[in-house]
Amino acid sequence: MKRKQSRKTILLLVPFFLMTVMFLVIPMALMITSSFTSESTGGFTLDNYIEVLTNSFYSQSFLNSGLISLFSAVAGLVLAIIVSYAMTNLPEKVQDKLTVYINVAANFAGVPLAFAFIILLGNSGVFTLFLKDANLPLINGFKLYSWQGLALTYLYFQIPLGILFIYPSLKKIKREWKEAAFMLGASSGTYWRKVGLPSIMPSIAGTFVIMFANGMGTYETAYALTGSNINLVTIRIAALVSGDIYARPVIGSTLAVLFAVIMMAILALSQMLLKKVRRDLA
Amino acid sequence: MKTKKTHYISYLILALFGLYMLFPFVSTFFYATSTKWSNTMLPNDFTFKWFIQLIEDPNFISAVVRSFTLTFTTLAVVLVVMVPTVFLVYTYFPKVDQFMKGLVLMPYAIPGVILATGLLRMYSGSVIPMYLVLVGALFIGSLPFMYQGVRNSLESIQTKKLIEAAEILGANRFTSFIRIILPNIRLGLLITTLLIFSSFFGEFVLTNLLIGGRYETIRIYMLRRMNENGHLASSVMVAYFILLILISLVITYLTSPDRRGRKNSNRKQVPGKRADRISLAEPLKSVSILKIGVKKEKRQRI
Repeated sequence: MKRKQSRKTILLLVPFFLMTVMFLVIPMALMITSSFTSESTGGFTLDNYIEVLTNSFYSQSFLNSGLISLFSAVAGLVLAIIVSYAMTNLPEKVQDKLTVYINVAANFAGVPLAFAFIILLGNSGVFTLFLKDANLPLINGFKLYSWQGLALTYLYFQIPLGILFIYPSLKKIKREWKEAAFMLGASSGTYWRKVGLPSIMPSIAGTFVIMFANGMGTYETAYALTGSNINLVTIRIAALVSGDIYARPVIGSTLAVLFAVIMMAILALSQMLLKKVRRDLA
Repeated sequence: MKTKKTHYISYLILALFGLYMLFPFVSTFFYATSTKWSNTMLPNDFTFKWFIQLIEDPNFISAVVRSFTLTFTTLAVVLVVMVPTVFLVYTYFPKVDQFMKGLVLMPYAIPGVILATGLLRMYSGSVIPMYLVLVGALFIGSLPFMYQGVRNSLESIQTKKLIEAAEILGANRFTSFIRIILPNIRLGLLITTLLIFSSFFGEFVLTNLLIGGRYETIRIYMLRRMNENGHLASSVMVAYFILLILISLVITYLTSPDRRGRKNSNRKQVPGKRADRISLAEPLKSVSILKIGVKKEKRQRI
């Protein structure tokens, strides 16, 4: 009886796996095979990997993407936690409304975001000109089409994204826990160190990985803001896959496979760390 | 005394955060409502001419309609497939859960650009229309948010214990899913749906690469206009975000049609206690299950 029910239940998972195979597994398999295919002869080769690994231009793109993602994930996460915590102190109704707007903000990315920053802080942006006219040294040396600009725009969509994942788990923390801790003589700091933070640690770790991956995978925003000026992995891949002049889809696939391997290593590592955190909790 | 102080700091933090978040929105709005804006803190004039120009453009209207069609089709597929899948895996197949956690993070490992290239190679010129391929690609793209979102909410309501209790009380898997789990994860589902909704509505990379100019959604229209006129492009963006906010509000409302009914029936039963929030400290889970059951029947009768 129970086994029969289990078998029926498994059937309900079929649509999901069908979608995944059709739209994820097969395209990915094509990507991997083409990374081992010679550009000229069409046969099996490792040349693509040798070329990518020995070319410092490509390795630099990985480093650049990693650094900007790390920065935006760490800074974004810290700010997201602070803002989420502040949100939990508000009346319930206001909180519900805020989540709606934060969701909108989380999607203010890509072309529109880059455009908004360009009209404000670009070379002939409204505020750049205004501050220059007024001789205010506020944003002296700030360049939008550089790392600073990229970091500022990345943060803009990373913080709301972080909030959307951190906020529900902060809501889970019960007022009773805090009261109990204070009654037992804990200070606010002790409470957060021993009770508050550990209880949301899995969420924090998971959210960090999501934010980091989100930063690594960002293409639209960076492209709209800096064109191909900044050497990022996604921009490199897109240029190789669909570029007009220098299209080399095979090298693009090779970069993409390496990108995927690195990301999977990070994800696997985070899973391991998560498990460790959970064991500490138990 | 102490809590009051914390609240002031909270408001200050949120005000600063709000300013940073609103800054680009507000300035895009001003840019869209001015004929010329440079060198000054605020624009010199105010005009609706860009908006009028926009509304008179039939391409804009059809782009909006196309975006809606695509979004709702994909959202329906995602919700119908994913919510039961995550629930089943989380509750009954913990071993698959480990595998799924890795699988759903795959879209991060494969940027949209690459996914689109693979899909084009596979399906362009095949019997499967590219529109369906786009729906599939968006489905894949939403996996991490959907899985993490639904799973987090399942975790926070202690689903396994709830299901155990329900089964002891004689409910089958289907009943317990529909009547106990779904109402309990409403808040989480709502946030996840909102997140995915607006990301579908504003999708650009996959749509552009897979269908391109043949199916001009609002983001593609936006980009085309951006190269023509900055003020007009700003007005497209303002219209787009007004739409997004409106839709979000509608979804919030639709997802909780029972909000008023619930409050009223609760007041009679347990004052001040919301049945959809099961406290961790509550010792008897079955009590809350019964509460939900009673409420549902009441609602059906009404």
